Amino acid sequence: MTDAAPAAPRPLIDSNDSRRPHGLLLVAIPVFLVAWLVIWPIINAIGRTLWRPDATGALGFNLDSYVFFFSDQYSINNLTITLWTTLVCAILLLAICLPISLYLRFSHGKLPAYVQAMAIFPMFVPSIILAYAFIRVLGPNGMVDILLNSVGLPKIRTPYLTPWGAVIGLVWDNIPLTVLILLSGLGNVANPAIEAARDVGANRFQVFWHIILPRISNSVLVAISFAVLGIFSSFTLPYLLGPASPEMMGPFMNRTFREVNDPLNAITQAVITFCFCIAFGLFYVRSVAHNQGK
Amino acid sequence: MERLAPATIAARRPPMVRIPTDWTGIVFAVLLSAAVIVPLLVVGVWAFTEVWRYPNVIPQQFGLRFWNQTLTRADVWAALTLSLQLSTVVTLLSAAICLPAAYAFARLSFPGRNVLFFSFLAGHAFPKFGLLIAIAAIFLQLNLIGTFWGVVLIQLVGTLLFMIWIPVAAFQSVDRRMEEAARDVGAGPFRVFWSITLPQAGPTIAAAVLLSFVGTFYETEGAWLIGAPGIRTMPVLMISFINNQMVIQYGAVLSVMLWVPSFIALMFARRVIGGGAFARGFGG
Repeated sequence: MTDAAPAAPRPLIDSNDSRRPHGLLLVAIPVFLVAWLVIWPIINAIGRTLWRPDATGALGFNLDSYVFFFSDQYSINNLTITLWTTLVCAILLLAICLPISLYLRFSHGKLPAYVQAMAIFPMFVPSIILAYAFIRVLGPNGMVDILLNSVGLPKIRTPYLTPWGAVIGLVWDNIPLTVLILLSGLGNVANPAIEAARDVGANRFQVFWHIILPRISNSVLVAISFAVLGIFSSFTLPYLLGPASPEMMGPFMNRTFREVNDPLNAITQAVITFCFCIAFGLFYVRSVAHNQGK
Repeated sequence: MERLAPATIAARRPPMVRIPTDWTGIVFAVLLSAAVIVPLLVVGVWAFTEVWRYPNVIPQQFGLRFWNQTLTRADVWAALTLSLQLSTVVTLLSAAICLPAAYAFARLSFPGRNVLFFSFLAGHAFPKFGLLIAIAAIFLQLNLIGTFWGVVLIQLVGTLLFMIWIPVAAFQSVDRRMEEAARDVGAGPFRVFWSITLPQAGPTIAAAVLLSFVGTFYETEGAWLIGAPGIRTMPVLMISFINNQMVIQYGAVLSVMLWVPSFIALMFARRVIGGGAFARGFGG
């Protein structure tokens, strides 16, 4: 019973609060963790790869590890396959998720609810189970082969352990968030605008191109940024489903760090992935911050 | 006269209702079901299969033999125990440090509040595995590679964004007038928090805690990179089963077992996921 019934009017206390830093104490540990395990490793990684001893042992600015990366054909191949996979996944994700989201935005009832549930379902399937299921279905002598065989058709050329294996797995894994982000963007498209366009005779494509697309372009970019950030350095799915050589940056960094036991080159590879994704990362942060500010 | 129009479809329906068949929806539903449900169904069938040789469409022999074999493997139990320990420790630590922070972000104003609030996005603005490599390089110097606490730290960082942002939204949506009213009738700050704030924010916070538990349980990449070789969690064990295990059913049984916590999360998290707030958290 500390009731106290403060004599001072409360607004005064509230305005004092902004000067009092005791809120800082409550947030100190999580902020420290972010600083120590997110910000510092990045600075450290850049510093350690750029500022290190050269052949004579003198500490100084040194680009050797980057020069090595970009002159090594194997590294270049890995970077190329990563860029290719990311690009293909982003295109496929848009091609799949945009129609689904448009359909969900403009329909009501049980069937759309089912479609939405199916589209979001993969979010609750851990990627490790997805990888296993993929092998059982599309792998050699998998379910697809069994079914094709039973109707007298030849086996498929399995995408397992090819670049397409990683693409299929990553697209599957990223559908839910892409659909959710696009749907959230489509929520901002007002019905009257579309009806007005229809009234003056615009067909479906014109409505999409001139009315809907300009209003959701930000969401489309956010969805792409999110997918790119996730896919560019993904590890589990390309490691289990993709080819062993060339490999994507995720498995490549893992192998350099753990099997080749070469932290310096692994960090160099990490910094290079940061550089390729920096634009998407900044855009993503800007959009989230902007949305939260609303 | 109108009734005559769409001949075949209308004939089977009650005459007054003229809803056009939603072909787009049917196509999406069929394709998505084939792509989402069928693979999981195949895994489910494999888990209860004893013999399934190639050209047969259905297994020759069903049975629980491989459940027995999988569940008597020492490495499975060790991994399961370890994963549960890790998830529990990480979730408790995360709740202990994040919930007070979330309350502070939602209710108190202090210098640098906004910058610090958005600093939690930093971990998501970089490609994850690259960041893990950079952290691993630091852990290497600290001898944290291959240790329990190394994995705890790495997984703890992964939960921060969810465990702060979702509870902040929960605290902010609590009706301030009810708190004021309780204070006016003489309730102390802890009483107000316990009786007014917590019951309203509680369900969302519980969903965040559950999400972070399940997310940690399935976290693969940090455990794989930081934990190996000493720490073998369930997903790490799954990777080695997929890569090296000739018995197909072990992986299938583990998948079905692992699926259970995910399913529970699905049931509980629907309220969080359903809200547009979730997608907005991702910048949608």
